[in-house]
Amino acid sequence: MRHWGSETRYLLLSVAPGALCIVVFLVLPSLYLMGMAFLSNGPYGLPTLPLSLQAFRELAGFGFLGWSPGNLYTLLRSLWQTALATVLVIVIAYPAAYTIATRPVRWRAIMLLAVVVPSWTNQVIRSVGWMNILAPDTPVSNLAASLELTEAQMGLFPSQFAVIVGLVYNFLPFMVLPLYAAFERLDHSQVEAAQDLFAQPWAVFWHAVLPQTLPGLMAGTVLVAIPAFGMYVVTELLGGGKATMVGNLVARQFAQASNWPLGAAGAIIMIVMTLVGLRVLRRLGQRLGGDREVVL
Amino acid sequence: MTAPGLARGLRVFWWALMVFLYAPLAVVVFFSFNQINSSARFAGFSWQWYERLFANEVILSALGNTVILALTSSAIAVVIGGFLGYGLYRYRRWKLGWLIWLIYLPVVMPDIVFGIAEMTFFVTLSQYIALFTPGLTTMIIAHVTFQVPFVALLVNARLLSLDAQLFEVCQDLYATPLQRARYFIVPVLTPAIIASALLALTLSIDDFVISFFTAGPDSTTLPIYIWSAIKKGVTPEVNAMATLMIAGVIGVALLSLLIQPTTSATSSKRRSAS
Repeated sequence: MRHWGSETRYLLLSVAPGALCIVVFLVLPSLYLMGMAFLSNGPYGLPTLPLSLQAFRELAGFGFLGWSPGNLYTLLRSLWQTALATVLVIVIAYPAAYTIATRPVRWRAIMLLAVVVPSWTNQVIRSVGWMNILAPDTPVSNLAASLELTEAQMGLFPSQFAVIVGLVYNFLPFMVLPLYAAFERLDHSQVEAAQDLFAQPWAVFWHAVLPQTLPGLMAGTVLVAIPAFGMYVVTELLGGGKATMVGNLVARQFAQASNWPLGAAGAIIMIVMTLVGLRVLRRLGQRLGGDREVVL
Repeated sequence: MTAPGLARGLRVFWWALMVFLYAPLAVVVFFSFNQINSSARFAGFSWQWYERLFANEVILSALGNTVILALTSSAIAVVIGGFLGYGLYRYRRWKLGWLIWLIYLPVVMPDIVFGIAEMTFFVTLSQYIALFTPGLTTMIIAHVTFQVPFVALLVNARLLSLDAQLFEVCQDLYATPLQRARYFIVPVLTPAIIASALLALTLSIDDFVISFFTAGPDSTTLPIYIWSAIKKGVTPEVNAMATLMIAGVIGVALLSLLIQPTTSATSSKRRSAS
């Protein structure tokens, strides 16, 4: 290794700016934020010494008025809404990806683009769109009212329903793309073999199609569930008070409530749960996908 | 395998999906031309929200900030991320696992934690260094930080798809590092660089949360303006503003559709052009 010195220099020159950018402007701030969780809440909502675990106690629900399950409910609700939205996204994306993959090649790029373009607009704007549609006195709300699903003049937002719609709308493309890739690689000889053996259509699907698309499905689940769990905009705009998720709880401590240590403790929980979720989904993907590497 | 019934069902499903995907955007565009400020009843066609929008200096500066933020951060991210992706490929035999981990961090970090971490960091830092006073600079830094990984991964993926022997060919032909960069690496990476620049742009335009938490009083962007208008309950020009952004995004989408086939077709010919 005669050029070891210059090689190292090239490596540093190419990698250092990007790596430094992430370390200085993401890793350090995150550590700083996480450190804040172990401080006490000062008089103006800013963290002060001494070190304490007060923030975690508050997060678990212990306040001056005794224990309340509010934060715990928020956490459970986040998990539940994430799971529900992910399942709905799979149910919609699966036939959509299949439809695209079975069209002539020249149509596929355009159809994929048609699915992806709405997600390029800003999150806030997409939510404004749904606010317009689900507001009181619009055709959709009036239909829901006439079916007695909602009370007249109430509108469909803010509600948990609106949040789920918003989540599905936001993350649908992230499921369609990997599923489409899986369908495109589908080995049709397995399907034909199953049909030659007179398998029922559902059996063909269950034994010959589904297993082949599982890697795509798992990759999509990671891409949908992980960001859905951290969602802030959709719940804030479409949800009102009844559908808040952990992200809203954390943000509130830095905006209105001014309790930075509590917010920082919430942020730690979010980071930990995100990493645990990634690990679990990755394991599940490796097991279901026959040890094939899944995204992330 | 497709029975006619299934095919017809899928076609109906597809168009229902298109309605679901485009209805929210269509409603915004449609009611931006409404004579009254309502999204329930269309009272007649009018340009008045656009006239008010272009007369409002705060909104115009928000529009300017959005464009400056997207273009500047993408330009910086493409350079930094491009080098990172190249370094990741070139030294892939070294133990760089920690680097991959580092690159995935901004991708998996929840937006809200990302934004708040940067906010607390910049607020503290700005007491000592004026450069980090929340504003356009801090927003650009934050955007570059979440764009860099995507650029690096795209560039790295493109390099991994190449035949590794091509690099040796350059050496066999006694190409200097500069010649190798100019006649081989840059031309070969051009499609990936264009794709990652478009991705960086859309990431920047799509982002609200991180911008919101790193913005200062004078660096409001359009999404932030729309957000605070909704929060205050004053929403007259919101649909018109949203329409402008939707038009911009669809423009970029069409542009990418036009560029994509030409870049792959001409990438081999680019050698002389670049």
